[in-house]
Amino acid sequence: MTGLIHLGLLGPFADAIDFILHQQEARTGQTLVGGPDQVLDPTLQHLKVTFLALGASLAVALPVGVVLGHLGKGELFAVSIGNAGRAIPELALIAFVAAFIGVGLLNVTFALAVLGVPPILTNAYVGVSQVDRNAIEAARGMGLSDLQVIGRVELPLAVPTIMTGVRTAAITIIATAAVATLAGISTLGDLLIGRNVYGDEGVLAGAIVVAVVAFVIAQSSGDDRDSSEPGKSATAAGDDGAEEDFGRPRQ
Amino acid sequence: MTAAVAQFAPLLAQTEIHNRAEGEASCVAQNKAFCLDWALDNFDRYTTPLLEHLVLVVVSVAMGFLVAFAMALLSHRRRWLVPTFTGATGVLYTIPSLAFFFLLLPVTGRGTDTAIIALTAYTLQIIYRNIVAGLANVPVESREAGRGMGMTHRQLLWRVELPLALPEIIAGLRVATVSTVAIATLAVFAGAGGLGEPIYQQLDFKTNIVIAGGLAILMAIVFDALLVVALRLLAPWRGREPASARRRHRLATLRRAPEAA
Amino acid sequence: MEAGHQAASVSYRDVTKRYPGQTEPAIRNLSLEVPAGEICVLVGPSGCGKTTAMRMVNRTVEITEGDILIGQTSVRERDPAELRREMGYVIQQVGLFPHRTVADNIATVPRLLGWDRDRIAARIGELLELIGLDPDMRDRFPSQLSGGQQQRVGVARALAADPPVMLMDEPFGAIDPIARERLQNEFLRLQAEIRKTVLFVTHDIDEAIKMGDRIAILKAGGRLAQYATPAELLMAPADDFVEDFVGADRALKRLALMRVRDIDLWQAPLAFVGQATGEVRAKLDGAEVPHALVVDSERRPIGWLSETDLARETVPQRPDSGPQPILDLDDVMRDALADLLQTETQYAPVTDGDGRIAGVLSVEIISEFLVSPEAKVEEHAAVERPTAE
Repeated sequence: MTGLIHLGLLGPFADAIDFILHQQEARTGQTLVGGPDQVLDPTLQHLKVTFLALGASLAVALPVGVVLGHLGKGELFAVSIGNAGRAIPELALIAFVAAFIGVGLLNVTFALAVLGVPPILTNAYVGVSQVDRNAIEAARGMGLSDLQVIGRVELPLAVPTIMTGVRTAAITIIATAAVATLAGISTLGDLLIGRNVYGDEGVLAGAIVVAVVAFVIAQSSGDDRDSSEPGKSATAAGDDGAEEDFGRPRQ
Repeated sequence: MTAAVAQFAPLLAQTEIHNRAEGEASCVAQNKAFCLDWALDNFDRYTTPLLEHLVLVVVSVAMGFLVAFAMALLSHRRRWLVPTFTGATGVLYTIPSLAFFFLLLPVTGRGTDTAIIALTAYTLQIIYRNIVAGLANVPVESREAGRGMGMTHRQLLWRVELPLALPEIIAGLRVATVSTVAIATLAVFAGAGGLGEPIYQQLDFKTNIVIAGGLAILMAIVFDALLVVALRLLAPWRGREPASARRRHRLATLRRAPEAA
Repeated sequence: MEAGHQAASVSYRDVTKRYPGQTEPAIRNLSLEVPAGEICVLVGPSGCGKTTAMRMVNRTVEITEGDILIGQTSVRERDPAELRREMGYVIQQVGLFPHRTVADNIATVPRLLGWDRDRIAARIGELLELIGLDPDMRDRFPSQLSGGQQQRVGVARALAADPPVMLMDEPFGAIDPIARERLQNEFLRLQAEIRKTVLFVTHDIDEAIKMGDRIAILKAGGRLAQYATPAELLMAPADDFVEDFVGADRALKRLALMRVRDIDLWQAPLAFVGQATGEVRAKLDGAEVPHALVVDSERRPIGWLSETDLARETVPQRPDSGPQPILDLDDVMRDALADLLQTETQYAPVTDGDGRIAGVLSVEIISEFLVSPEAKVEEHAAVERPTAE
């Protein structure tokens, strides 16, 4: 019985993989769909618009966030932007840009960059403003100029936090780029929304590729290094009767 | 004079209505940025999507919280579970919701369930991480005093650690809720309706986008505010901290889980 | 005070603590008896094991070998959580629960023990009074209290269930010296009323001498160097280590054990307001203290007479010099000496409990006393000498 279920589940996924690998006849019976070429194109477009948008976000958000963090000013702004950015409804944004500004690569990139700026800005601010004061003092004392302090001390130390922000931005952008088809460019959304043309296998194939792309990019732009949380307590081993070492030096 | 006006009143009224309808029609035809009249007349179109959206958000965040909370309790005294759980929730977070919807389709079919599962999965990482971080940030001396006075581990958890972790837990819930409101606009693609549906149905009608999008943003703001109020009610001692301590705490929270503003 | 549990004695019987992976035990064969109702101070250099030794009593550190008895019961036979609820536990950082009011903090253990609400409320009121805190502070949160106030709440919280034994780990360590001295005095006053058995850990030998009825000096490895009363410790240190640890200024430290009343005071000629200065001048000849002290009709000091004052007809109401510092018979001698030195006064009037003049103290008197053969303090109780390492 379970075997059948497994096959049942595997079925659609197997079909989807098949779709990616082999060209086949379309639902409508008129064209050939599927196959690596046809899947590659939208994938590349998807990646292209993702990187363009990420680049634009970085270009805008990083300098602003770093400078504000360096000066220690504008905390309310930096934090609020992060909060506000999260509240932007993705579909509404794409539709809004398409309807009010226009369709096409440039406009979509703009929309996606709008989504990418808040997390990067907030994280850049937090990362830089939280750099150990001592390190900065020492650098200043050694005669480093402001710019050098930023470049050689603050930025490097803020990189993990900033990368977490980039990761968040990347995930959001990749996710939203999937509906950018509605705004006139070709991305993996073509497959996702094009059930009529590509069939269920095509849709699922598109979903798999999107997930894989997101995964790869997320992993490469900083992993979850938060397992070493500050303030983590020392272990209280086992249950009653065992040692309760609260991590203080033994006296 | 008044008699003359009175004679023309019905005519004036009629003209007024006619003009308004004309104005509305022309506004729509020209697809202006926002047609107020149309919005007022057709607002009931949005009630069902609004309610659907509400349900999606509330159920997803609630379930996400329950699951994440259970995970946090499990890993509280078995620290070796933390990296595993963090990794697992991280993977779920990485998968774009849209893709998640479609990946689930063969398994759960079109409909609200699919959307809810995907949305719930998306919230797990932030909520779990915040609960764990909140618990880890309980002052060591409070823990030590509690144990030294004779609290069992369970009593310590429920009477001391969880209450003190509440601010950070609620911060995580805020982020999760706001994000879910935004992402749920895509739930239309899973066949679950929501505010994405009116948008998808009339992609070029500007007023429509403004209304649906605006409602989503409004919902996010309201939920956020509600959670802030909830925090003040549940954690009355927090307002008493000196401002400098609160600021430090807030930035520290941001640094550790930067989405947890 | 509500009649609570009788204080219980604490006995260490050959206690050893070994941590896994370490060759040397942290505590080696520690035996000592703390009689009920006394403060035993565990003191020693960093790492000697004093905190570990204390924490084995409530099993926040587990005993490897040996046993600790509270009264007649072994701690190893009790469930740890239950055991701890019967002891007061005060740590250096206090560890008040930030999310609970002062009243709730204090009520922690009574609630764990299942007391009913009225009893708890009454007890909180009692304790607030005992530690000298305004009843209005009940509903404040710890973040709204000063460091000293937090410490006091910590002590109240430890006393809440009226435990027979109190464990205090550097309880006053994190406060400024002025507040610390005040808290020490208040705790001693408290202890005089409630007489708990207290195990007190500190690294400060002066605090140990001030607070302890008995002092256990520990060396590295938790070995007992000496277990004695403060006086014994100062008079007869057991070995070089103890002598070094107590410090070269043992003589001065002895002053912490004395009160002003323990010494023979000098007498100054007294002058009353309105008295003829001629009479006063007559008294000054051959007096112990060559200055006249003006007192009121109740014999309370008003000030010292200067030469200018004496040149007048009668003793003025306001003499040139004020009476400060005015000492009390019950002042600790060390504090009195500090006052004298600080105000650069040669003579200070000493009053009794009603403010009436009892005599005059000077630095000279103190230093004479220190070198005299009478400087042997009488309070030598027979001390149980533990098996020395």
